[in-house]
Amino acid sequence: MNTNRKVQSVTGAVAIFAALGLALTGCTNTGTSGSGSTGGSTDTAQTAQAASGPTCDLATYGGEKLDLKNAVVGFSQSEKEDNPFRIAETQSIKDEAAKIGVKKLITTNAQSTLSKQISDIQDMISQGAQALIVAPLNSDGLEPALSAAKAKKIPVITIDRKLSSGACDTYVSFLGSNFVEQGKRAADQLIKGTSGKGNIAILLGSSGNGVTTDRTKGFVDEIAAKGPDLKIVAQQTGDFARDKGQSVTEQLLQSNPDISVIYAENDEMGLGAQAAIIAAGKTPGKDIQIYSIDGTKNAVEQIVAGAYNGVIESNPRFGPLAFKTLQSFESGDKVGQDIIIEDSEYDPSNAKDKVDSAF
Amino acid sequence: MSQATVTITLPRRGTALGIMQRYGVYIAIAALLIYNLIFTPNFFELDNFRTQFVQVVPVMIVALGMALVIGTEGIDLSVGAVMALAAAVIPLYIGYGLIPAAILAIVVGAVVGVINGSMVAFIGVQPIVATLSLMVAGRGIALLIANEQLRSVTDPGVLSLGRGSLFEGEAFRIPYAVIVAAVLVVIVALLVNRTTFGKQLIAIGGSRRAAELAGLPVKRILLLTYVLCAALAAIAGIIGTARLGASVPSTLGNLIELSAITAVVVGGTPLTGGQVKVGGTVAGALLLQFITATLVKHDVPDAYSQITQAVIILLAVYIQRGRAAVR
Repeated sequence: MNTNRKVQSVTGAVAIFAALGLALTGCTNTGTSGSGSTGGSTDTAQTAQAASGPTCDLATYGGEKLDLKNAVVGFSQSEKEDNPFRIAETQSIKDEAAKIGVKKLITTNAQSTLSKQISDIQDMISQGAQALIVAPLNSDGLEPALSAAKAKKIPVITIDRKLSSGACDTYVSFLGSNFVEQGKRAADQLIKGTSGKGNIAILLGSSGNGVTTDRTKGFVDEIAAKGPDLKIVAQQTGDFARDKGQSVTEQLLQSNPDISVIYAENDEMGLGAQAAIIAAGKTPGKDIQIYSIDGTKNAVEQIVAGAYNGVIESNPRFGPLAFKTLQSFESGDKVGQDIIIEDSEYDPSNAKDKVDSAF
Repeated sequence: MSQATVTITLPRRGTALGIMQRYGVYIAIAALLIYNLIFTPNFFELDNFRTQFVQVVPVMIVALGMALVIGTEGIDLSVGAVMALAAAVIPLYIGYGLIPAAILAIVVGAVVGVINGSMVAFIGVQPIVATLSLMVAGRGIALLIANEQLRSVTDPGVLSLGRGSLFEGEAFRIPYAVIVAAVLVVIVALLVNRTTFGKQLIAIGGSRRAAELAGLPVKRILLLTYVLCAALAAIAGIIGTARLGASVPSTLGNLIELSAITAVVVGGTPLTGGQVKVGGTVAGALLLQFITATLVKHDVPDAYSQITQAVIILLAVYIQRGRAAVR
């Protein structure tokens, strides 16, 4: 009896350990954006920054000229479309395909599973896709799918997340934001808005996510360089989620009443922080300022209302630029291997006029 | 197995080890409070404790239901998805006011409980498998209902549930969310300790076969247990939504099943069933909350914070291990 019970309790302990492991590693991936309402058909298409650096063309990559109007194009989305960034991204690809009138656009969604993205891409190739636009789930791991495309000389344009494998070899070009730059610009906005004085609490994105690392680096370095009287007093993860951003901010404000400004690495956490500031009996935007990155309608509307201070955009509307790049590549022109897009920004001076372009 | 062996491994009530084993989770909470009293600025303030109690509410309510299910030697992984479903339902019916919307949200949650309970009780699907499928499907349905969108909820009733207090403006005001949680704790404690249903639930967890032979309505009780667990999760979803002032079915309640299971087990309810410790579960949830609060307030980086949480929780479980072994 005694031994039996012991065995059971050991099994129990193992089960808890497993549960804990899962709980603590946090096996979710919410992407670069949290959720938010969508809408806003007013498109602000991306524009590329002045191109420089290595280029790629048909002769180097291999393949033959193609007119996209007569082509089957495949689009592989990485994450579930449960946040405004992904929704706006997919919609933009669909809209642009319809606009230029491609023969057929096949779209797939990998539901945040790498193996599904690989099979999605392979399926699209076997369905006759002649060009591919891929939003990679991860910077590594897509090799099986990419080599299948390469074998058939199908050009692949990757968007929003950069692959670690070689450009103009495993894929043609990468189109995306510079996340370090986004962090730096948020710091610039913050320095301007606070006149360079105050105590900052940072709400980090999910741990181990490249976007988090970059947005933190850009911000922290810029504050160190240009904000000698600004002090970063806390850096805690809010997992890109509104509720976590809210509860972490509540804790921080309680133990550190000197916090005067919040930098959130996405809008959702910033909106959570806003609720926490209200709960603490203070006025968001005035007593405690809030800056974040994304450009969702919910956050930009708060700037208009005077309860939020600044948002750096991370533009999800890749469609026009992706198809333009693909078309010039297919006509034999040289295209850049790294095409960094221009992100806009919102502050109290322009939010009212630009709120309709938020996603 | 002779009786003598049992007596040797059984720590006496009065010994230090015996006390540790009996009150491990409470001792851990006390130790954390003492640490914070000394090292954390502004910790011992009414406002801070209000924050901690408000933040723990969703996990605590979910853990209450989880304790009931674990008492039957089951598990419910779908609680987070039920929270998401409740969150998705609220904005649809909030036009009729908080109470009707809340009732509908609870009914939708309870339906998930009926499905879980039926699979477990009548079809004989293992609880972990039955509830896993709803954990995945439930959130998907929630996103469909919400059209994959976040919706702000500005109904004054909802906002006051999430942010308002009894004796508003007074130093000792009590948030409504905390009052709801306290009432639920009392109800579940009475249910477990004072009703036939509670005794039968525990008997099933001890030995389903024996309970069946004794003529207990095993299937009906199992079904009801899963329905209760899901209804409690739905209430947690309503409160979570009220606190955010927004319905966020994509992230609300993510991974809460694991926090709830941890709270239940740290509180002394064995995963092997046959016991339900309501007080321990409440203490377990509070311990998790105080650990998080302490780590955030000291700005511990995420990686260290995860390791520290695991060590503290494992210690609490280890201390209680002896107790589970001798019972």
